[in-house]
Amino acid sequence: MISRLINWLDERIEILNIKKTLFDRLIPKGVGWPYVLGSVSLFLFTLQVVTGILLAMNYSPSPEHAHASVAYIMQKIPMGKVVRGLHHWGASFMVVAVTLHLLRTFFYGAYKYPRELTWITGLFIWLLVLGFGFTGYLLPWDQKAYWATMVGTNIASQAPLLGPAIAKVLRGGEALGAVTLTRFYAFHVLLLPALIVLLLAVHLCLVVRLGISAPPEKEKKP
Amino acid sequence: MDIDRRNFLKQGIFIMGGLITAGIGIPATTYFLAPLWHKEEEDWIEAGTVADFPIGEPFKIDFVQRKHDGWMTVEGRSSAWAVTSDGKQFTVFDPRCTHLGCPYRWDTEKKKFLCPCHNAVFSITGEVLAGPPPRPLDHLPAKVAGGKLLIKPAEKKEEG
Repeated sequence: MISRLINWLDERIEILNIKKTLFDRLIPKGVGWPYVLGSVSLFLFTLQVVTGILLAMNYSPSPEHAHASVAYIMQKIPMGKVVRGLHHWGASFMVVAVTLHLLRTFFYGAYKYPRELTWITGLFIWLLVLGFGFTGYLLPWDQKAYWATMVGTNIASQAPLLGPAIAKVLRGGEALGAVTLTRFYAFHVLLLPALIVLLLAVHLCLVVRLGISAPPEKEKKP
Repeated sequence: MDIDRRNFLKQGIFIMGGLITAGIGIPATTYFLAPLWHKEEEDWIEAGTVADFPIGEPFKIDFVQRKHDGWMTVEGRSSAWAVTSDGKQFTVFDPRCTHLGCPYRWDTEKKKFLCPCHNAVFSITGEVLAGPPPRPLDHLPAKVAGGKLLIKPAEKKEEG
């Protein structure tokens, strides 16, 4: 049954070729655990998307309702605790995994020719992940969230020249309030996802196209 | 059963992938379908002290109705008509005429419920005596506990 479906698809869109390109890639010698960090990040990203969509179904980004709706998810919805827990911990793990992935790439010299574009898109993805963390942190609208965002936007305002303007744009005004919450929600569920999906698509296409870099070797003495 | 390293790893990946998918999929599906097994917790509302109510004569009770709307509790003023013959068993009527939902009243002279909109007339037991209503007055669940009359107001349903 399944093989018939696969054959049907293969006759029309050469699906087996796609599978071969994506999964049956040649891997250089000496590749080991440090190389899984990219896949780990991708898995965590998928987890964040799924749990995030579910959370958004019951979350209300307004000062009156944000905290109460999170409490409602935690106390009233079956598996709400689990879904929010996964999103909460997945967020922390994601920052860790993407950062380690970045460091691995750097210290193995995997950013070098011809993979500069993969490296650059990866750097921007890393920044977006930090953006996700920063904007998502405010959404529960509890004391910790509020003051952490206060600190974060204050740090932004310390930048020379543009600082105050950046802080104002982030907050949606002078003070941290209702508009900050709706803006951060828009960043977190609309703007950042759109950007990260775009960059991830490029990043992954490049990985498939260029293959994995071989681990660095000691120079052979002549 | 002969199995080589490649197939062993392949199956291992499938099994682990299946476990991970189930581990996330089952909670996610439960969460998503939560409205299906969500029980609306109907609260009994205290409508007053039994001793204060007249016997044999319908009276109007006003109360505050609390409705749960997700994480919010909405308070609304609501009312009902009640009648008792012995002070123990209460019949409570929905305050809306069954024709088009107008608020009817008890006429102490005629000893009947009259609806001003289309001249509907109901008896003290809620039966239709005259006018356009399609059915007798709707009853609300009522019980007496601790000397208090408790009722369960009807959901405000759209007529149609």
